Amino acid sequence: MIKITNLEKFYRTEEVETIALNKLSMEVNTGEFVAIMGPSGCGKSTLLNILGMLDDPDEGSYVFNGVEIAHFNERKRADLRKHNIGFVFQSFNLIDELTVFENVELPLIYTGVSSSERVKRVEEVLDKMQIMHRRNHYPQQLSGGQQQRVAIARAVVNKPKLILADEPTGNLDSSNGNDVMELLTDLNEQGTTIIMVTHSEHDARYSHRIIRLLDGQTVMENIMV
Amino acid sequence: MLKNYIKTAWRNIMHNKFYAIINITGLTLGLVIGIFMLLWVQDEFSFDSFNKNAEKIYKVDIVAGTGISRQIFNNIIAPVATFAKNEIPEVKNAVRITSIGDAPFQYKDKVFFESNFAFTDPSYFSVFDFKLIRGNPKNPFPDINSLVITESTAKKYFGDENPIGKTVIMGQNEPCQVSGVIADYPPNSSFQYHVLLPMARLNYLSYIKNSRSYDGKTIVPSMDADWSNFGFETFLLLKHDVNLKALEKKLQAIHERNKPEDAPVPYLVQPLIKMHLFRADGTDGGYSTVRTLTIVAVMILIIACINYVNLSTARSLLRAKEVSMRKIIGAGKSQLFIQFIIETGVLFIAAAALSLILMFLLLPYFNNFSGKQIAFNLSDTDVWFCILVSFVGTLLASSIYPAMLLSSFEPLKALKGRISGSIGNVNFRRVLVVVQFATSIILIIGTLVISKQLSYIRNKDLGYDKEHVFAFTLRNDMQEHYDAVKNDLLKYPAIVGITHAGRDIVNNGGGATGDNDWDGKPANSNLWFNLIPADEQFIPFFKMDVIQGKNFTGAVADSSHFLINETAAKEMGITDPVGKRLRIQTVNGTIIGVVKDFNFATVHKKIEPIVFRYQLEHCWRVYIKASGKNIQKAIAAAQTQWKLYNNDIPFNYTFLDDSYTKLYSADQKQGDLFKLFSVVAIMISCLGLLGLTTYSAQVKTREIGIRKVLGASIGQIVNMLAKEFILLILLAIIIAIPIAWYSMNSWLRDFAYKINLTWVSFALSGFGVIVIALVTISFQSVKAAMANPVKSLRSE
Repeated sequence: MIKITNLEKFYRTEEVETIALNKLSMEVNTGEFVAIMGPSGCGKSTLLNILGMLDDPDEGSYVFNGVEIAHFNERKRADLRKHNIGFVFQSFNLIDELTVFENVELPLIYTGVSSSERVKRVEEVLDKMQIMHRRNHYPQQLSGGQQQRVAIARAVVNKPKLILADEPTGNLDSSNGNDVMELLTDLNEQGTTIIMVTHSEHDARYSHRIIRLLDGQTVMENIMV
Repeated sequence: MLKNYIKTAWRNIMHNKFYAIINITGLTLGLVIGIFMLLWVQDEFSFDSFNKNAEKIYKVDIVAGTGISRQIFNNIIAPVATFAKNEIPEVKNAVRITSIGDAPFQYKDKVFFESNFAFTDPSYFSVFDFKLIRGNPKNPFPDINSLVITESTAKKYFGDENPIGKTVIMGQNEPCQVSGVIADYPPNSSFQYHVLLPMARLNYLSYIKNSRSYDGKTIVPSMDADWSNFGFETFLLLKHDVNLKALEKKLQAIHERNKPEDAPVPYLVQPLIKMHLFRADGTDGGYSTVRTLTIVAVMILIIACINYVNLSTARSLLRAKEVSMRKIIGAGKSQLFIQFIIETGVLFIAAAALSLILMFLLLPYFNNFSGKQIAFNLSDTDVWFCILVSFVGTLLASSIYPAMLLSSFEPLKALKGRISGSIGNVNFRRVLVVVQFATSIILIIGTLVISKQLSYIRNKDLGYDKEHVFAFTLRNDMQEHYDAVKNDLLKYPAIVGITHAGRDIVNNGGGATGDNDWDGKPANSNLWFNLIPADEQFIPFFKMDVIQGKNFTGAVADSSHFLINETAAKEMGITDPVGKRLRIQTVNGTIIGVVKDFNFATVHKKIEPIVFRYQLEHCWRVYIKASGKNIQKAIAAAQTQWKLYNNDIPFNYTFLDDSYTKLYSADQKQGDLFKLFSVVAIMISCLGLLGLTTYSAQVKTREIGIRKVLGASIGQIVNMLAKEFILLILLAIIIAIPIAWYSMNSWLRDFAYKINLTWVSFALSGFGVIVIALVTISFQSVKAAMANPVKSLRSE
């Protein structure tokens, strides 16, 4: 599904140029659950953003589903993104002014799904995430665990092929964190490819494979058994 | 999708009520005042354009006089219309209108004073769109005793009875029959004559009946043979594509051929639709005021938009996360752009609805204030068009930039808060604040200068004493018995003086002549004199100074004596005028004295040359000076005398102080408008400032906390928050002063007598604005500075 080759990304300020990704290469196959680990500043978030087409690389190749997209413009990337990728963030990033239902509905609106179909699909996914009873609540009225489940619901409602999760349990206690990891595992088992950035060895164990980064390069890969 | 946008917008407003209130209040204020003024402006520009032939109707004026007496006459001689219609092929039709003062009209026991009555030609009803709705359009005036009135006048006299054929008594005993009724005039018509009499009647009474003449020798058989009486407003209906310059020459040729001694007498034709705002020579006759008000109205709307733009861009930082998430989820830039436009739209609809309600409620006050009769009729498309354009314009101006800014966030940066420093170009916002305050300051300076000039006018030494003086107009019998009236009135202790003259001293209109000659008159001089027929009491009554020679004595010989004013002496170019020969029209006489200059017209104009004549038969205006304590008794005494001669006709009198105030009512109105504008401008600007400081205090909560922990005092914190805004306002003052200086100088240029612009008004305005701004800023910044730092630090 994903093949990146010699990917490079620099951050420049007036005086300093920082290398975030240094000729990084990796592959992720369809249906895999990959964890990316490494110390702060190793480039894992940068990598995730490029994989998620939120950012573009300075050098190198990024092939997504057989298409080279490293030099796609923002519009094309956005189009590809909204049909293929769902995001889960550490801080949930729900929209405060929208209810649970409306937050989950949003991606469907932007992909032009009809109103009746939207209701059906949102209810389906809320049911699956067991937060149907909270559908008319606003994010502030939910616990962290519930918020993250809403965020996951929003990430999957469009049935993306790939979910990118950026420390999805970072703001949760261990019990809620485990619930979230179970949910992701379930999704993966149903065929969704998942790439997750995490600091937690515990969470990483849910994955099939751990890629460890240091200074923008892969230093080690662990295959989980 | 739309529902979702509106929902989000509504919730956003509800979540941020403080900002919503600031925005809605600012927009509403701006819209109400801005739209009212634009309606006023629109009405001013629309004058007379309702006439179907408006584009082809022209007013005829002449230029008369030389030197300081050079002026444009709006009223011309009667024969020009007739000759033009007969001799000039481009002229399809012509109308003359002459209105002479007021007169009582009586029907049964009802008596009304009609000041808006005029004599006119039958073509009045076909050249203009004043169609007869009753009566015979082919022959509106069947005879010289016919009368055409407006619908509401008919209602006033006859109620629901059919007015046609009814007899009303005009003046003392002139029965006239109503032969036609026209619809009421639109408010934006320059013509508002409610009673119209046939020109043929004037011709009969003034010429045919009496064979009027100046000297008793030359008989002027009809008004079409009188080349001296400048008393007729004249309009021509032209054919297509007429060369106006050539037409003016032809008119001039007609005049000069018939009265060679007037030559050269240049003619001017002016389009009917320009008559309301321009003088005949194309110079400003109100246009610049309308233009200024247009600019100011638009500025008020812009100031209101700026509030919205500033607050929403400043606060966009707080929306960054939402925008990013929407983008990550799949929102396109255009979708977000539309979302934010709609968001502004929702807020705007609230402001628009509120402003419509307010306008509806305030309309009577506005009409009263502006002297307009604007109505919110559904059928009045002009009014709604103006409102719609203002709404849409304001909506676009306030929504586009914030929407562009918000929708252009790069999601990744916005999500991480990396754009906090540079969000929404801080400098742009600063520029807008400067624009807001500069405008407010200009308006405040304008208000101060105008009110200073008005108070200068009020307190100006006019050169005559009008205190406790009231005046009224004598009619027939009473004028003949003036001496008896005078002697009776002087018996009352409440009355300290009485005089009569042939002019209104406060605003001496008309009555000028160029038919004159004097010893040593330069060959090229065509000096016009304002003529004031007066008795011998006039000059002492008004405490004017005779600086050379002496006043009239009341002797028979005075009928060939003249008094002139200083300006006349100067313009005539004679150093020692007393004793010199002067001919005015047919009277060859002697100058017996020079009167110190006094203002007998508005201070917009320079004092013009005056000649006083001792002509008691032309003295129809009585002036009575009451003793300060017994004004009411003096009026009662005058009224008793009035009743002796006028029966039931109501007694109309005016205090000169009131007439004087009325003379400047347009200036006063302008002053009031500026007052209103500047109050609104500063209010809206301060609302914006309040929003911005609140926001800036919010954003800097953490910084304030840290500073306080490190030992900063409340004063230092307030200073930190206020400094930027105060600097911006100082900059606004620096920008505003030259603009205000320039515009107020050109406003004052319209006054011949005026104040000098001093730095005081400017300093005062600047200082005032800084104080107001400081108070506004300190609301929020003191609150922020006093907050417990532990709390604010924890909040991060």
